[in-house]
Amino acid sequence: MTVSRTERRAAAGFLLPFVVLFGAFFVLPIGYAIYRSLLTTKRSGPLGLGGSRTVFAGAANYVAALTDEAFVDSVVRVLGFALIQVPLMIGLATTMALLLDAASARGVRFFRSSYFLPYGVPGVIASVLWGFLYAPGVSPIIDLLDAVGIHANFLGSSTVLFSIANIVTWEFAGYNMLVVVAQLKAIDQDLYEAAEIDGANAYQVIRSVKLPLIRPALVLTTVFTIIGTLQLFAEPLVLRPISTAINTSYTPNLAAYTQAFVNNNYSLAAAQSVILAAAACVLSFGFLHLVGRKETDR
Amino acid sequence: MTSWRSHRLGRAAVLGTVATLALVGCGLGSGAKDSGPAAAGRTPGEKIELTFWSWVPGVDKAVDLWNSEHPDVKVKLEKIPAGGAGGYAKMHSALQAGTGAPDLAQVEYQEIPGFLLEDGLVDLTKYGVDDDKSKFVEWQWQQASYGDGVYAVPQASGPMGMFYRQDLFAKWGIAPPKTWTDFRKAASTIRAKDPNAYIATFPPGNSAWFTSLAWQAGAKWFGVDGDTWVVDIDSAETRKVAAYWDAMVKDKLVKTEPDFANAWYKDLQTGHIVAWPSAQWGDAILSGNAPNTAGKWRVAPMPQWEGSAFTSANWGGSSTAVLKGAKYPQEAKDFAVWLNTDPKSIDLLIKGGYGWPAAQDALQGSALDRPYEFFGGQKTNDVFAAADKAIDKQWGWIPTTAAAYEHLNDGFRKAIAGQGTFVQAVTAAQAKTVADLEAKGLKVRTS
Repeated sequence: MTVSRTERRAAAGFLLPFVVLFGAFFVLPIGYAIYRSLLTTKRSGPLGLGGSRTVFAGAANYVAALTDEAFVDSVVRVLGFALIQVPLMIGLATTMALLLDAASARGVRFFRSSYFLPYGVPGVIASVLWGFLYAPGVSPIIDLLDAVGIHANFLGSSTVLFSIANIVTWEFAGYNMLVVVAQLKAIDQDLYEAAEIDGANAYQVIRSVKLPLIRPALVLTTVFTIIGTLQLFAEPLVLRPISTAINTSYTPNLAAYTQAFVNNNYSLAAAQSVILAAAACVLSFGFLHLVGRKETDR
Repeated sequence: MTSWRSHRLGRAAVLGTVATLALVGCGLGSGAKDSGPAAAGRTPGEKIELTFWSWVPGVDKAVDLWNSEHPDVKVKLEKIPAGGAGGYAKMHSALQAGTGAPDLAQVEYQEIPGFLLEDGLVDLTKYGVDDDKSKFVEWQWQQASYGDGVYAVPQASGPMGMFYRQDLFAKWGIAPPKTWTDFRKAASTIRAKDPNAYIATFPPGNSAWFTSLAWQAGAKWFGVDGDTWVVDIDSAETRKVAAYWDAMVKDKLVKTEPDFANAWYKDLQTGHIVAWPSAQWGDAILSGNAPNTAGKWRVAPMPQWEGSAFTSANWGGSSTAVLKGAKYPQEAKDFAVWLNTDPKSIDLLIKGGYGWPAAQDALQGSALDRPYEFFGGQKTNDVFAAADKAIDKQWGWIPTTAAAYEHLNDGFRKAIAGQGTFVQAVTAAQAKTVADLEAKGLKVRTS
């Protein structure tokens, strides 16, 4: 098949806006972060006040990041967090979507909108909101629990991660649900009819018709959730002032933020960011590869 | 919940009094024309504009006053987030980019070395700032002096005292504690008298407060020896203070909730926390967040460690600095000195509510020199004036102070969660701080 010159030009014209934006706001910043992560600052003169120059550091910043106990802890923390958060999120989103899709469901539009509504609340606002519900002294939830003799501490070292998980779930479950709902809507009605004729009950329809057909949506939302949990940032940042359990390197993103804007060490922050991006890449593509292989096995 | 961070405003304070204004304005100033190529200076009669980044409440009014009195040297104020909340990041980015930095900026004392390291501040001795030295409290002048240079004009500080609920102390038969031993006894009496009440909180996420207590105990965490930075966080004095609070927490004599958070404000309102060793600017925090307790609070001097002369400490302090790249450093310096010494400017800033003037003898006749209804008519600032004179002048900072605070916070949080003690947190923070400085390519030693 030959492609005429005009067609090529048209294709280039359509691609250009994407390529320019992709280059300017994706490739370039990542490239700069990688470049930055390979540099370090050398100082001279008494007290180091005699001026500074930037020199090539090789892998020194990566070594520093990976040998920093606090940073490694933060990576382990978000991985553990993802282990609980991802199944919880996908399970909840799928359940809500299936309920809304059920033939007997009432008020579907109302519930769909209200499940989705929290996604419209920015993460910082959501965290402030929940912060009020977690903070002793102002939280009606704690007051209520106190009244029945349960002394809850939502912000302690053993509970705060679950409190964060709750905020994240509240924010994004509705969004993920919507992705699943969209896919459910795309299922051919003939299949339901066929299932009905075969005598399938509602449960069997879900198991054998709906779930296999919404698989792509589940894969997509899982990847979103993996990436989202690794990048946890706004929630711990906002809760930090009221919790004694959240330190400045609680999550990898928070650690990078601290290095860049508290410690003025942009190179180390860049290295930490690159490590996090690599981890997210490996996990996301690893997951895609895993489900892709199962697909072909069938 | 913006109040979570509102205390940063408190640290910022302001001006000094001193009647002789530095001003005189314009271009005739000092023979400081050796200012290098970047600073061509202003020709007489030329109209110029200086930009000034600050977050201090009330500073807008002082700038307006300057502008009405100095039509040729206009100052354009740009409000930025408080330093720790992003203001410094903004300044550092602008300095690094080499463009977009203001002529003048609000810089807290503990941040000055960090800016020096990035070569971000103008040495004001080139512009005759030494002539203004006598207008400022000595220890605050030292806060902006490194080597032979003076890198900022002191603005305000936070001499410390102890706020306490006089009504509850009287009801329980407790006198305001004179020593830390008394403070502990009072804490335990309070626990016995009211199971819901505590004397105070140990804020695990606010090591700046702990730093001030160590400062009071005679610790000197940071210093300079020749060309080497000296770190001595893990000193006998600091460990004494850490062990004291370890015991207070272990015996459940203090709360361990964060300060400047809603739960803490609620405790202040309900009489569940009845004292607060804090800086002078704490008065506005109390009256703003526990208005229902008006008239019940008083201020006493800081509890003392036995066997030493009366010593207070400082919590928070801020300056006006001239940033590298300023086109008119002479005029910028003149404005900075005016802002922080002109009595009218000082009064405007005091009304904004930021703290204790760095200018000499600024109290008398200023807006601070009055009885406060919130404190039952007490002239509370007399206590802080005495405190201001009893602050160790030797205290200095390092280029990674903010990170050192965070190391302490992390250790304190762990200790509260049952992993280790405050004393161990202090030891760990020292090791990490030394590593921070080395990572910046600096020579460092422990004492």
